[in-house]
Amino acid sequence: MRIAVILKAVPDLVEEMELTSDGTDLDREYLKFVTNEWDEQALEEALLLKDSDGAEVVAVGMADDPDIEQALYSAVAKGADRAVTIAGATGVDTRSRAAAVAAWLKDNPADLVLSGVQAPDDLDGQLPAALGAALGLPHVSVVVSVALDGAAAIVRQEFSGGRAADLNVTLPAVLGIQVARQAPRYAPVTRVRQVMQSTTIDEASVAVDEAAAGIRVRRMYPPEKTTHAEMIDGSPAEVAARIVELLRSRSLVKG
Amino acid sequence: MRHTLASGETRQVFEGIGAVGTAAFYVLSIVTVAAFLIGSWRRTQKYRRGRPAGRGGTIRRALLVSPLALRRRPDTGSVAQVATNATIGRRNRGVGIAHFMVFWGFITLFIGTVILTIDFDIVRHVSKWFWGHEDSFFTGTFYLGYSVVLDTMGVATVLGLTYLALRRGVRPPARLDYSRAEQPAGGYSRKALVLGDWMFIGLFAGILITGFLGEAVRIVANKFPEFEIWSPAGWLLARGFEAVGLSAGAAATTHTVVWWSHAFLALGFVIYIPYSKAMHMLVDGVNLLAHDKNATRALPAPPADADHIGYRELADFTWKELLDFDACTKCGRCHEVCPARTGGAPLSPRDLILDLRQWADLQTGGKTLLDREQRPDATGPLQNGQAAVAGTVIPAKTLWSCTTCMACVEACPVGIEHVPTIVQMRRSLVDAGTMDPTLQQALQNLASQGNSFGKSARMRARWTKGLETPIKDARKEPVKYLWFVGDYASFDERLQDNSRLLATLLTKAGVDFGILYEGERNAGNDVRRVGEEGLFEMLAEQNIKSLEAAQFEEIFTTDPHSLNTLRNEYPALGATYKVWHYTELLVHLVESGALPVKPLNLRVTYHDPCYLSRYNGVIEAPRTLLAALGCELVEMPRNKTNSFCCGAGGGRIWMDDSVLSERPSENRIKEAAALEDVGHFVVSCPKDMTMYSDAAKTTGHDGTLTVLDIVRLVDQALVRPPAEPATDDVAVPV
Repeated sequence: MRIAVILKAVPDLVEEMELTSDGTDLDREYLKFVTNEWDEQALEEALLLKDSDGAEVVAVGMADDPDIEQALYSAVAKGADRAVTIAGATGVDTRSRAAAVAAWLKDNPADLVLSGVQAPDDLDGQLPAALGAALGLPHVSVVVSVALDGAAAIVRQEFSGGRAADLNVTLPAVLGIQVARQAPRYAPVTRVRQVMQSTTIDEASVAVDEAAAGIRVRRMYPPEKTTHAEMIDGSPAEVAARIVELLRSRSLVKG
Repeated sequence: MRHTLASGETRQVFEGIGAVGTAAFYVLSIVTVAAFLIGSWRRTQKYRRGRPAGRGGTIRRALLVSPLALRRRPDTGSVAQVATNATIGRRNRGVGIAHFMVFWGFITLFIGTVILTIDFDIVRHVSKWFWGHEDSFFTGTFYLGYSVVLDTMGVATVLGLTYLALRRGVRPPARLDYSRAEQPAGGYSRKALVLGDWMFIGLFAGILITGFLGEAVRIVANKFPEFEIWSPAGWLLARGFEAVGLSAGAAATTHTVVWWSHAFLALGFVIYIPYSKAMHMLVDGVNLLAHDKNATRALPAPPADADHIGYRELADFTWKELLDFDACTKCGRCHEVCPARTGGAPLSPRDLILDLRQWADLQTGGKTLLDREQRPDATGPLQNGQAAVAGTVIPAKTLWSCTTCMACVEACPVGIEHVPTIVQMRRSLVDAGTMDPTLQQALQNLASQGNSFGKSARMRARWTKGLETPIKDARKEPVKYLWFVGDYASFDERLQDNSRLLATLLTKAGVDFGILYEGERNAGNDVRRVGEEGLFEMLAEQNIKSLEAAQFEEIFTTDPHSLNTLRNEYPALGATYKVWHYTELLVHLVESGALPVKPLNLRVTYHDPCYLSRYNGVIEAPRTLLAALGCELVEMPRNKTNSFCCGAGGGRIWMDDSVLSERPSENRIKEAAALEDVGHFVVSCPKDMTMYSDAAKTTGHDGTLTVLDIVRLVDQALVRPPAEPATDDVAVPV
């Protein structure tokens, strides 16, 4: 059993984002990058499967992602068996990422491919779907738990309103993980540092057709600040009255 | 001077015991000494298993370099400290005096016995071999002096022991209740611990009583030889026996019975020592001589040769730590002062040490007769060698409860160092990822952005915006003082006003200072105490890189926690600086007139931050400052090095405290609120400001008790040109 976990470095949202002068991308020069939080969930789910069923977990990142080595070392410190960076993808859009990962997976097949269901810059969660399509494999997204059952996996897919379904998926398959069965584990810095000393990240290179992206960013827009916090002054009764008024006026409560 | 056995004043050894009895006594003595040596040897073997503790220098200093040192708040031990029982008498004068009497009484009686042995078993025989007749120095003036000294010290021992027994038996302090802070699910019993205490006192008392009785009946049996008045206690007792009609013949018979009782009790006690609470008589002097508070201030780095991180098994502990376990006499001073225990957390430093002792004994086959906790199941300290010590023998929730406030180490009369041991065990919890989710988040934030708030590292100096005079960037221009601001003073919006105020005051006073701007990271003090050593190293490396690139002469900090690690732990990483606290700087500015002030005439109380007072001895500066500001300081009962922790230290500020029945900060606010006519609770630590503002609100004292940073008082007292208003009105007397 081999599980590939696709990790992506995304800007730390606590940073102030600025656009480049031509307005087509974030100014990445001074940004701090962290691992996409949903990818962290995917990694945790993979490690849980490794703990319970035994599996080789491969952490996969794109060579051009800033600080991706840090994310990969951290993944190995947590229990991943090895780490790979893929070079050759052009652009940062999801489709070309999917094409690059698919190209690598064709030569390095995995029984399960896990990725986060979405990312701050992929809110519609295209990556797992595009990956499934490119590889011609079954794909399930918004997955909240995975159990292995021979040549299949039983995955729980979450729907709106708290409903969920258990699906039986034939392996190999691509899963978009919403949340792991437990909170992502901690990677102690000492371990990460040891891993940095002892582990080599494999470097792979793939050729991806530039046209794979299919889209081109024409312009980005910074969010407009429209909301303001309202501080409510007055006696407790006045404050309560104002809160009730707000809740009613915004249709947050009935009656 | 030598006398023959027949001449002069003396008493007969083995009087009325007979040849068979004497022979039997020697056999018993040999068995006793053998049992004592075996027990002591086993204990020693246990300590020899321990890792090196690096205390050779400490012991050498205590023994040779400054054996007479007796400072008020010593960091390391000395012979004088052990000899005077100074640590026992601290904050417990009565107990100190009583223990001093028992301590020296026992030593004197022991030396007396040794002298008698030398005379009777060595000098007597040796002289016979060489000169053909039996010599003895146990006679004449020597005998009389010996008698009066031993009698007096015997009485002192009885008095001391009586005081201690009455205190324990009649109205014991709450800390002598041995109920656990952490309640094992399967229950437990500590009755044997109580029994062990009474066995110890009982054996001791028995030896003394039979000793005096034996002396008295011997004097009666010998019809009151005149010189025996030099044994005043025995003499008086003998007169008493005579008064109630004890005849010389009956006394001689009684003497044999009493003599044997004394012998059995004394020999039994000697055997009992290495297997019981009495071993503290052997262990604790050594433990005090090896004690070093600096090991708590600057935590030990993990051993370089360890194949795993943190403490997991017995082999991980140093000999000093193993000695700590055996040194504990269960006095409960740590238990009493511990903020975690006080707040209802499942941690008592005493329980921790007792559990580790019992567990270590179980691993090494150590035999403790009483003084053991019993449980219906093999949990906690009763687990076998396979159990991980951190998280199994000592539950994770217990280890996470510690605020590292050091009150336990400070209070311990026998030099036990609980905090470093707790951190070593935390290291293995961190390695296994066993921690609160909120703590994990804080550590991840610290790793990525260098602050626990998870805010962008580039926003660290944003609080300086709006200052009339911008603060110098010490990385770009030389300054005299580098202000290490710290996370809370930089990022917490409730505290940024105080930071700006301090900056304004320093500028007004003409102080040449600067900050590292986004080059500063969390100093790592609490990260290290959480047990995340790798992250501490990383943060320290980043800070040292920034500090090396900056030009300054000395550092001052707003945060006592940062002060501690910068002052005490960074030197081991190659970065040694003079580090001040801002109260020390302010007192200098006020006293020198750089900040002219007028008296405020306020009645205030002041909270000593653990990391300032207990850890680093900065006690007088804030008090001098308050006096200079015309504030009348009303001390809380727990003050200075005996200060009570706010509950935020050791990473507790990043953890969930909903398990507590009462937050330490609330306990502290209540202590302050009980002071008469005190409306101001003055703090000198940013974390204290948040902790106590919250606690004043949750305890409902926020209307009567204003929590404020000392910098606000300085600002309030400042004499300024008429046109310039005070920065705010927080400290206006009501």
